[in-house]
Formats: sequence, structure tokens, C-alpha cells
Amino acid sequence: MLVITRRSGERVVLGDDITITVLEISGSTVRLGIDAPTEVPVYRHEIWLAVKAENQAAASSEVTSLPSPLTK
Amino acid sequence: MQIQSTRFGAIEIADDAVIEFADGIIGLPGTRYALVAQHEGSSFYWLHSVDDPSVALPVTQPWLFFPTYDVAVSDEDSHKLGLETSEEADVFCVVRAAQELEDFTVNLRGPIVVHAARRLGRQVINEAGDYDVRQPLFTHVQLNQAAPASSTTPIAATGV
Repeated sequence: MLVITRRSGERVVLGDDITITVLEISGSTVRLGIDAPTEVPVYRHEIWLAVKAENQAAASSEVTSLPSPLTK
Repeated sequence: MQIQSTRFGAIEIADDAVIEFADGIIGLPGTRYALVAQHEGSSFYWLHSVDDPSVALPVTQPWLFFPTYDVAVSDEDSHKLGLETSEEADVFCVVRAAQELEDFTVNLRGPIVVHAARRLGRQVINEAGDYDVRQPLFTHVQLNQAAPASSTTPIAATGV
């Protein structure tokens, strides 16, 4: 892993077209601004992990017959 | 086109029923999916991969179960889908199915938003609130009322 120290207002560039700006540092919280092409999805890591886990669990369930109408 | 689903065998899918997920579905392969109904009138669909016959995930329309559910789609996601009004969007939530109804959960945090007319889909992170990725789908009330032959009254879904 590459480790870089940055101060508020400074940036990191990934490749040609992704820029991450440290907007604000407050206590243990850092606010980041991310400029990336629209085709690059950006997620908070823990949410991305949780959604990925749910998708994979949903797709690998052995249940193949879903309940018939249960709601009106 | 026809797909040879590993779950359901041959399924005929109309070309205009295919939904393009340009960024895929998080953690799953392929970019083309179609909604397949297993039972007439069911509350559930399968979002079935067109590219990989072994990939399908159950989804439901969240408002059937959670009438007060809110979805907020970021400007970026709306732009990618070409959504201009909320009426253009269909919303589905991924269901984790289980042997027992009380173990069914639904992901309200990462709904799948589809521009119905353009056939574009995208799994988004719901910005409307702190919804759970693993919300129990059926309440105890629903489970009791869903017992066979006793479901003559409409089942009251509860809010989140």
C-alpha cells in the first residue's frame, strides 16, 4: 500500500482523470472531494462491501421458489 | 432471445425487456439483466442475468412491504440513468430468500433503480436515510396473516 501524507487543501491524483482533494480535517474525520469520470463508480467502502455481500448472498440462495402473493 | 437459466431452464426474453446495467451490479458479473416473473401476480421477480445463466437474484418492489419507504437518488446516479422525473423510475430491492419466511431480508440501502423507458438500470446507494441492507421482509403480523387459507384480509405492511 502506498502511504502519502496530505494537508487540508492538498490533492492526490490517480491516473489521468481522478483527483481526490482533502477538503477538511476535523478531529478524527476527513472530508474528501473526489473528481472522477462518470464511468468510475465511487462508494463508501463499508457500504460497498455490505451491498456486495447482500447481492452475492441473494444470488446464491438455494431457494428457487419465491412466495406467492403475500401482499394485496 | 432465449437464455438457458440454470434455475428455470429455457426462458424467452424479449429484446426490449433487457435492462442494461452499465456499471454492472455490485459483486455480480455481466451488465445485461431482465426481470422475470416466476408466478402470476407475485410480489417477487428474478433479476436474471442475460450474460450468465447461473446468475439471478430475487427482487421486490419495496412499497409493497414498506409503504413509507423513501428513495433519494444522487444527481450523478440520476444523470447516468437519464432520469428527469421520479415517475420515469422503477425501484426494486434485492431480497435474500431463505427457507423460512421470517428469515427473508431485503436490502433497502442499495435499491436498484431502472429507467423503464430507456431500459437502463443501476444499483444506487439510497441517500434518503439510514436504511438497512438486511431489513427483515415480513413482520410477525404478516407471517401470521399469511398462513394458508387465512389470508382473506389484505395484509398490512408496516413502515420502516
